[in-house]
Amino acid sequence: MVFQRRSRRRALLVAGLLVVFAFIVVSQVTLAGPSSQAQPVATPTLSPLSIGDDTCLECHGQPGLTLPLENGDLLELYINPADFNNSIHGRLGYACVQCHRTVGEYPHPPYISSDLRAASLDLYQACRGCHEQQYALAQDSVHSRALAEGKREAAICTDCHTAHAVRPLKDQATGELLTDAHAWIPQTCAQCHSAIYEKYKESVHGSALLEAGNPDVPTCIDCHGVHNIEDPTVASFRLKSPQICARCHTDEERMAKYGLSTEVLNTYVADFHGTTVTLFEKISPDAETNKPVCYDCHGIHDIKATDDPEKGLQVKENLLIRCQFCHPDATINFPDSWLSHYIPSPENNPIVYYVNQFYKFFIPGVVGGMAILVALDLSKLVRMRYQRMRELEVKPEQVEPVQSESADEPAGEEDQHDDLS
Amino acid sequence: MSATPNHTANKRIGIVRIFQRFTVGQRWEHLLALLSITVLLLTGLPQKYRLATWSHNLLSTPERLQFVQQVHRIAAIVLTLEVIYHLANAFYLLARRNLPGDMLPTLKDLKDAWQMVKYLTFFSNKKPLFGKYNFEQKFTYWFMFIAIGIMVVTGFIIWFPEFFNRLLPGGIIPAAKLAHSTEAIVIGIFVFIWHVYHVHIERLNLSIFTGWLNENDMHTYHELEYQHLTGESSETSDQGESQ
Repeated sequence: MVFQRRSRRRALLVAGLLVVFAFIVVSQVTLAGPSSQAQPVATPTLSPLSIGDDTCLECHGQPGLTLPLENGDLLELYINPADFNNSIHGRLGYACVQCHRTVGEYPHPPYISSDLRAASLDLYQACRGCHEQQYALAQDSVHSRALAEGKREAAICTDCHTAHAVRPLKDQATGELLTDAHAWIPQTCAQCHSAIYEKYKESVHGSALLEAGNPDVPTCIDCHGVHNIEDPTVASFRLKSPQICARCHTDEERMAKYGLSTEVLNTYVADFHGTTVTLFEKISPDAETNKPVCYDCHGIHDIKATDDPEKGLQVKENLLIRCQFCHPDATINFPDSWLSHYIPSPENNPIVYYVNQFYKFFIPGVVGGMAILVALDLSKLVRMRYQRMRELEVKPEQVEPVQSESADEPAGEEDQHDDLS
Repeated sequence: MSATPNHTANKRIGIVRIFQRFTVGQRWEHLLALLSITVLLLTGLPQKYRLATWSHNLLSTPERLQFVQQVHRIAAIVLTLEVIYHLANAFYLLARRNLPGDMLPTLKDLKDAWQMVKYLTFFSNKKPLFGKYNFEQKFTYWFMFIAIGIMVVTGFIIWFPEFFNRLLPGGIIPAAKLAHSTEAIVIGIFVFIWHVYHVHIERLNLSIFTGWLNENDMHTYHELEYQHLTGESSETSDQGESQ
């Protein structure tokens, strides 16, 4: 009986504990559910459009509004409303506070920055909010790498696009660069790369763009990329550079307009200089090579038309200078050893053409002649051996006693003499 | 068509007369040419067919390309020295009125070739009789002589283009390059189809390595030379005269 009572008490205890546990679990679930869904807004966050641009411009529309930074630099706080309204962001109706998210209510929280560049480097992060893709691409650029190495002057978004007067660059419908924008690109890069711009301006491409507004010619970004601008001084860029030029120069339609050959890449690759470069590009893209690429002869930014009377490569002396970079002993005949992108013909590179023609007939002639003679010879040989075998098979029956004495060899030899007769 | 008893007896006992065919110098020359041309083809063809995948492993980096080119040039120097020796030796012998004329092409070679074609196509059952070198061997020699000449000249032109352009027009460089790379194919095909067939498949002829040929082969393949060396008129001599 004692045992029974004790066990009943234990059962009650267990049941009681279970009930308590169940209650706790259920109450937890019921408490957690509604509280997460209906969290009351304690401090309302800034709704992007809750503050109109007018509010900001009340102060920031006043010329002369500045903020002194730690080093004494004055951060310009004045915004020209016209500039902003003309910008792509203004036209599309974006508000100041969509980028300037941290300024909060007025009075603004204090803004502290060591100098103007530090302020730019801090504030341009706002672009990322909408343009994450471009921002990510830019992270792979030579500019971002320079920045990470501590070169603070390396270009960030706002250096090229400006902060407030961001110009529309593309046709919204087609995604194509606007006609005007072509010329803006080199001008933008020129803010830092002015020496290169001076060269480009005089080049066949640059002059066509800047003087004639020709949209067919490449601007900086067509070769260097837009946001993920590569380091053009590395070996891999050198090796792949012919493919960059080839993007336009193998385009039949575009080249036809200017009467330019689209065989320039093929003929380059067919020559051993180009073969080496093409092969390395495919197999060991980081290999250093001294084999010339397009720009070693045609120039990097100062590319001239080949029929340019002063600097064009059709003037032998001009090409010779290029040859002499690698072949210092080259003399005036030497440039002709390059086929000048021509496919050999009686007019262009006749010696090569006729050597080629010679072998076109010589090789089939030699191979054919030899093959015929060898085939005839072989068939005769096989026939003879077959005949001899048959004779040997017949002979033993006729002259059996002799066969054991003289063995096979004299018999074979006799047959060979038969061949000769 | 009966072998003389004397001849058959020699055969049975196993006495084989051998005839010197090449001098030690000639055997060395052949060996040098064989080795250098093999190396040249092995290092040259990958350079010619650089865009083919099989050559990629060999030439994928600048270092490897340079190495292969160096090997090619060393082999080229060996072959050039061999050519110089060969020519110098020929001129030396010529100056001493001692140059054997066996290798010079003659009208008989043309007739032999024609007769051989007739024989092989069953228009005739007379096989031509040959001297020390048959027309095929002469053809081999002169073909290789000219081909190696082209290769050596064009090879040096593309090795030292700046030098050759001082005297010659620029166009000869790409022409030499084309000729060099195409002639290499001709040589490759020639050696493999023609030479290998004649010395390995038709019959194994190692005389260029051993220096000698046995009596039987001399009889069979170089009857006229056999007669010349032995003064013996063998059983086929009458037919030889009839040609």
